[in-house]
This record gives sequence, structure tokens and C-alpha cells, in this order.
Amino acid sequence: MTDLMPPTKNKWWKHPDVKKTFIYWLILTPAVAIFGTQFHVLAMPDPASEVMSGVITLMRVFTWAASPVAALVFAMCATALTSQRHYGDNPPAEADHQISNSPRANALWIVISAVMCLFALVVGLIVLQKDGDALHEAGAINVNVTGQQWAWNYDYTNGARSEVLYLPVDVPVIFHITSKDVKHSFWVVEMGIKMDANPGYTTEAAVTPNKIGVFNVRCAELCGLLHAYMQNKVHVVSKADYEKWLADRSALEARS
Amino acid sequence: MTTTMNHPAAATGKSRTPIIERLNIVTAFALGAISAFVVWRLALQFLPPDSEVRLFTREDKITLLSMIAWFVGFMTGIGALVGPFRWVTGKDLSHDENMFLAGKDMGIKRYFRYTTDHKVVGIQYLVITMVIFGIGGILAMLIRANLGTPEGGLIHPQAYNSIVGTHGIIMIVGTIIMVTGPIGNFIMPIMIGARDMAFPRLNALSFWLIVAAAIPLIWAQFIGGISTGWSAYNPLAGQAPLGMNGYIMFICIFALSTMVAGANITTTVVRMRAKGMTWNRTPIFIYGVVASVALALPAFPVFFLSQVMSGMDRALDTSFYNTAGGGSGWLYENLFWIMGHPEVYVILIPAVAALMEMAPVFTRRPLFSFNVAVMGIAGISGLSILVWAHHMYISGWAPLLNAPFMLTTELISIPTGMLFLVLVGTLWRGRLWMTMPTLSIFALLWNFMIGGITGIYLSDVPADAFLHGSMYVTAHFHYTLMGAGLTGALASLVYWFPKMTGRMFDKKLSWISFWMVQVGFNVTFGGMFIVGLQGQPRRVEAYAALFNKGNLITSIGAAVIMSGMLVLLYGVISSWRHGVVAPMNPWHAKTLEWTVANPIPLENFAVLPVVTSDPYGYGKEKK
Repeated sequence: MTDLMPPTKNKWWKHPDVKKTFIYWLILTPAVAIFGTQFHVLAMPDPASEVMSGVITLMRVFTWAASPVAALVFAMCATALTSQRHYGDNPPAEADHQISNSPRANALWIVISAVMCLFALVVGLIVLQKDGDALHEAGAINVNVTGQQWAWNYDYTNGARSEVLYLPVDVPVIFHITSKDVKHSFWVVEMGIKMDANPGYTTEAAVTPNKIGVFNVRCAELCGLLHAYMQNKVHVVSKADYEKWLADRSALEARS
Repeated sequence: MTTTMNHPAAATGKSRTPIIERLNIVTAFALGAISAFVVWRLALQFLPPDSEVRLFTREDKITLLSMIAWFVGFMTGIGALVGPFRWVTGKDLSHDENMFLAGKDMGIKRYFRYTTDHKVVGIQYLVITMVIFGIGGILAMLIRANLGTPEGGLIHPQAYNSIVGTHGIIMIVGTIIMVTGPIGNFIMPIMIGARDMAFPRLNALSFWLIVAAAIPLIWAQFIGGISTGWSAYNPLAGQAPLGMNGYIMFICIFALSTMVAGANITTTVVRMRAKGMTWNRTPIFIYGVVASVALALPAFPVFFLSQVMSGMDRALDTSFYNTAGGGSGWLYENLFWIMGHPEVYVILIPAVAALMEMAPVFTRRPLFSFNVAVMGIAGISGLSILVWAHHMYISGWAPLLNAPFMLTTELISIPTGMLFLVLVGTLWRGRLWMTMPTLSIFALLWNFMIGGITGIYLSDVPADAFLHGSMYVTAHFHYTLMGAGLTGALASLVYWFPKMTGRMFDKKLSWISFWMVQVGFNVTFGGMFIVGLQGQPRRVEAYAALFNKGNLITSIGAAVIMSGMLVLLYGVISSWRHGVVAPMNPWHAKTLEWTVANPIPLENFAVLPVVTSDPYGYGKEKK
């Protein structure tokens, strides 16, 4: 933009291309931002946990932050396309200038991208810290998750076992995830958490479901023949229902 | 060009044709097949049976040994050992023999032998790249066909997984070589004013290694396939069928090819630029090619070793990746991505640099901020070796390292932004000469913007915890590797087609295919973004009804891409055969490759050029 600085006294911002780009930019910025956020938010599932709400907020924030930059590039492209076009088998006359550099434009561009980068990092770190703290939540229930080709098994601390995950609403839960054979990835879609199940190691992930309903667990790492079918449901129920289910399950387990 | 070749046989007075003239692709395939068969037979006879209870081990040994025998036989048969053998025995190749190897006065036959002329190697690379994209594209259409309905089931899951893996790995290989192979070999030496590459025989070697590598991959399809995806994670790869050995051999041989080509191209550019071509006057495309192959130099040995260890785990019962035996699958993931992340920039950088090279030509103004372009390329190359573990945020390997890897990953957006600045800066106030490469610059900016921003979402650990392993990731990297990378490669093909074939690329066909491919591409991967956000995992052969619409959009888009590619293929063939004969410099460009006549003489320049300025002196001087 400062590369427009001509040797004469004319101000660079009075160049018609600059005005055009500015107008395009004003139109494109909200257009890109609104389209970008709606595209993401409408497609993503309704959140069933704080973590997932956080992910959706992150996508909104990042899209809004990125849209002025994307819109500027698109606006400059649109200006170039609508200003001087030439069709034919021979080249047009050469441009009316020889601008090959602009230290100010370069510096401005680099500083802006560095600031954006820092912004993305800080936002990400804040959310990351919050998600990390959830692993040390007091009063959380613990569930051992075992992946094997091609099913998930859940073990509760009182001895209950299940192939379908039951969780109480509004109670923090910590998953201890491992695998019996190859690598799987434990993805509770609507809760926005995912952690790989590695044979021989136990990994952890934490979440607090905040909505009663039935949600999806899918394997997110190619694990062989029936990878596509390695999915089942998670039932989030009220605390009373959960206690009842848990007692039933452990009684069943004790009998067998 | 008028003198007939002095026959080496005639010189020595023997009547028999010397061995160097008998070797070609036929002897290579014959010797490869014979040695593979002999070793397979011997191994079957003499390898002791397994004492341990472990599936496949003996068969793995037999398969791997046969494949190694194929490789050695093929390389011997093509003539890769002639030079070293003669050198060891103290009878180095004579000038005439070297001229013979360069394919002097040989016509079409030189494309089927161990020919050292860089222009022949460039055309060989171009053809093999097109073959790879053709096969990879057909596999992609098979994937889309199977995902036409939620239940899948058109293809057996085992075959489907193998198709996904094969599509992945051959497209990766195809995109790695798509610019540095054809353009880097054919155009690059002329662009820097050299008569050939620094090591012409290594150049031929790098190409024929790829042909040698292809056979184990095809072989693999008949012995169980590659059912692990292109990343071939262990321990899944350890329990995969025998076809996995084909993948291992393919990667090892291809890695050799990449290392050889990397050393060759780097040396050529550092040592053989024309007089006066200082680093400031070296075209930006050259920087892109060198950054790409130099990045491959540390990356591919790691890939090579990761596969050697994978093969040992299978065939020799070692436990590099086997937790029960003291190894770790995380080791494989680390090694794989230490190759894998630089590798995406190996693909991307030369394609973007090629478009940067074309931008001043088609805007008739100087390249904007050459120094920033170099900084951007260098910055991406440097940072890209420090970001690999962002593929492992949710692997559980080292949660504490997530934050530092998030930092390095997001830092890459700064040098990437520089590449955008250079391109839009060059478009700014230029006189656009509307051609297919010009349109490609805009297409690259659009696609790469989408690929780049979605990359920032993915670099963020909490967002990645939702998006990782979903179709969103698939769409993201197709936007970067195909939307940006392939767009640049196709533009390069059209731009340098007159120099490579002597004929112009049909303008109408290039425009039609451009629009079909770009529109189809955005539809395809737009739909894939949607299903990814909805929660569809990657590499599934069936999906919930919820994902119906997005998959339908993707399948329709894929069909449009395929049609566009077929138009392009028709354009290549028809223009090559009877296109308009190209003038010496159809684009009125200022780089050195446009100063040599069509067809280009064997050693390019009769008198080596002297360079006195950078090649971007377009536009009128300020008054």
C-alpha cells in the first residue's frame, strides 16, 4: 500500500486502486467473517459440554480475527482483476511503474501477521490451560476406556462393565484410555474431546457433560478392517438415573 | 549435431554390441523379474520355518527378500551400475560413451533407457507424474463411489482400506515430484544457465529409482494391500497383511530417489549458476526448488529408517514399535511426522515459487519484494522441521509439549503470510495478461487462504481435539496440497509446455480444464469440510445418515474434477502432437530458459550466458 508512494506529491491513498480496494475490503470483511463462522457453527454439533462450547467459540474468534486479512487479500485480487485486464496472444504494454519493493508495506504486513499469530497463541493457551485443569478436578468419577478391534469397553470403579457409556450430567469425569491391540482414538463427538488409545500406555482426558441426551463415540484413528463401525453411544442421564444404572450394572457383573 | 556418433564398439574393433548399449527398460524389467523369482524360489526352499508362534514372519522375509532382489536386478538391468563398475575397474566412461548415455541422436528410444540428459529426465518425470495422478485419481473416484451411500459396501473393507492407503501414498509421491521432477529437471538447469545437472548419472538414477519403487507397490496390491492408510502407523502396520512389505520397499526406494535428487539439485544450483548470476539475481523459482529438495534431504532418511525398522519388526521379530517388547508406537509416529511435516512444504514451496516466477511475466511488472519472498521460503523451511508433533497433540505422547508445538506451528503463518504478500504485491497495479497461469495465481491465493486459515484452527490444541482425525483434516490438506500445490504445478505445465515440447498448450482447453478443476475442487472439499465439522472420521468406508448431504456434494465435485482433469489430459496429448509451434519466447519472459532455441540442443548453450541483472525488469522506469 505504501508501495504506491509515487515520486510526485500525490498522496498514496488517493490512488483509485487504493480506494477501490478499501471499498471491497469493507464489504468483504464482514462477508467473509459471517460466512466463515456460519459455515463452521451450523455444521458443528450442538455442544454437550463446556469444552465443546469452548471449541465453537474458538472457531468464531479465529474466523473473525482472520477475516480482515483474508478479505484484504481477496480485495486486492478483486482490484487487480477489475482494473487492467488484457486478453490475447501477445502481452500487454508493460506496467507504468517499476515498484519492486516497499519496506513499509513489508514491515506492516509482518508486524500484523506476528500480532495475529500471538493472538491465536494466547487464546489457544488460555483454553488449553482450562482443559488441562479439568484432569485434576476433585470429585470426578473415573472411567477406564479400553479400545479393541472394533469396540469400546468401559470399566467403572465399582466393578461395573459396559459396552455403552453412561455418564451423569454435570459431574466431571476423567477417562483413562488404553488399547488392547492397535492404536484407536476415543472421540466423544458432541463433547469435543478426543484422545488416542495406545496399547501399553494409559492416556487421560477429562470432560463435564452438561446436557442430558444420547451422544456419539467414534474411533478417529484407522484401526483396521471395521474401523468405520467402531462407534457407539454415550448416554448422559440425571444423577439419580446414573446411580441406579451403575448399581444394576455392578450387580449384574457380580452375578456373572 | 551433424556428426554421427563414433561407435564405441567400432573404436575397440569388436563386432559385439557393448553392454552399455544393450541395457534399457526391457532388460531392466527382465533382470528384475528373474532375480525376484530366483530369490523367491531359493528363500522358499531354504528359509527355516518359524519357531515362534507369529503370523507372517517367514512369509515377510521371503517377500522382502524377493522385493530387494527385484530392486537390485532392475537397477542392474537398467544400467545404473555401469558407471560405478567402470570407475572401480579404472576404465571410466569415454566422451563418446557419455554422449551415448546422454541420448545423443537417439530419438524416442532415449526415453526408455538410463539417459543422463536433464531434458530427457524431465520429460520422463512429467510422464510418470501424469501416470501417478491418473492412477491416484481413479483410486479417489473409487473411494467416492464407495462413499456414494452411507452403507458403503461397494468394495470390501480390506480392499477399501488399501485403496485409501494407496491413493494417499502415491498422491503424496506424485505431488512431491510434480514440480521438482519435470520442471526442476528440464527447466531449472537452463534457467540458471547450465549445460546439465551437476551429476547427470545421479539424475537418471533418481528417476529410475521411482520406476523401481513402483513395482513393489503394485505387487503389494496382490498380497493383501496396504490396509493402514498412507501413514502406516504401527502397531497396525505390524499386523497388516503381506502387502505392507510392498509399502516398506516402496518408501525405502523412493526415499533413496529423493535423497539422490536432493543432493544433485542442490549441488547444481550452488555450483553451476551462470556467470554473474549472484544470489540476488537468481530467479525465485530456483529458491523454491532448492528449498524443497534441501528440506527433503534431512526428512527422507528419517522416513527410510522408520520403514527399515518397520520391516525388521515384521520380518525379524524386533520390537522397535511393539510395546510388549519394549518399543513404542509413538516412536513410529515421531519418525513418521519428522518426515511428514517438512514433506508437505517439500510439495508446496516449489509450486508457490513457480507461480511467483510467473507473476511478473503475466502482470508485466517486477516481482514485489524479492527479499521477502526469499525470507518467506527460508522461514517456512526452517520452521517446518520444528512442528512435527502437532500431528500428535492427542496421541498422548507428551501433553506438555503441546504448547511449544502450537507456538512453532502458528509461527509458520508469518513466513507463509510473506508468500501471500509477494503474490498480491505483484498483482497490485500490474497489467494482467489473462492466461491460465494468471488465473492460477488467483486460484492459489483463494485455495491457499482457505487451507491456511483452516490450518490455524487445526494448530490450536483444543480445536484440534475436536477436529483431529476427522474429514476436516482431509479437506484442509487437500486445500493446501491440491488447491495450492497442484494448481501451481498445472500452471507450470502450461507455462513451460512451449519450452518442453516446442508447442503451445491449447489455450481454450487450458481454460476449460482450469475452471472445471477449480470449481470441482472447491465443491468437493467444501462438502468434506462440512462432514468433518459434523463429526465424520477419516478413512471410514461407511457413515451415519447425518453425513449424507456433505458426502453427496463431495462426490459430485469429485466427478467434476475428474472431467476437468480428462480435458487437461486431452489438452496435453493434442497440444503435444499437433499444437501451434511455439516461438522461442512466447510469454516475453526474461529468464534464461527462454533464450535457447526450440528444440533445445543437447547441451543447451553453445556459449554459456553471462547474467547482468535480475530477471524481473518489467515496467517503465520512473521519470
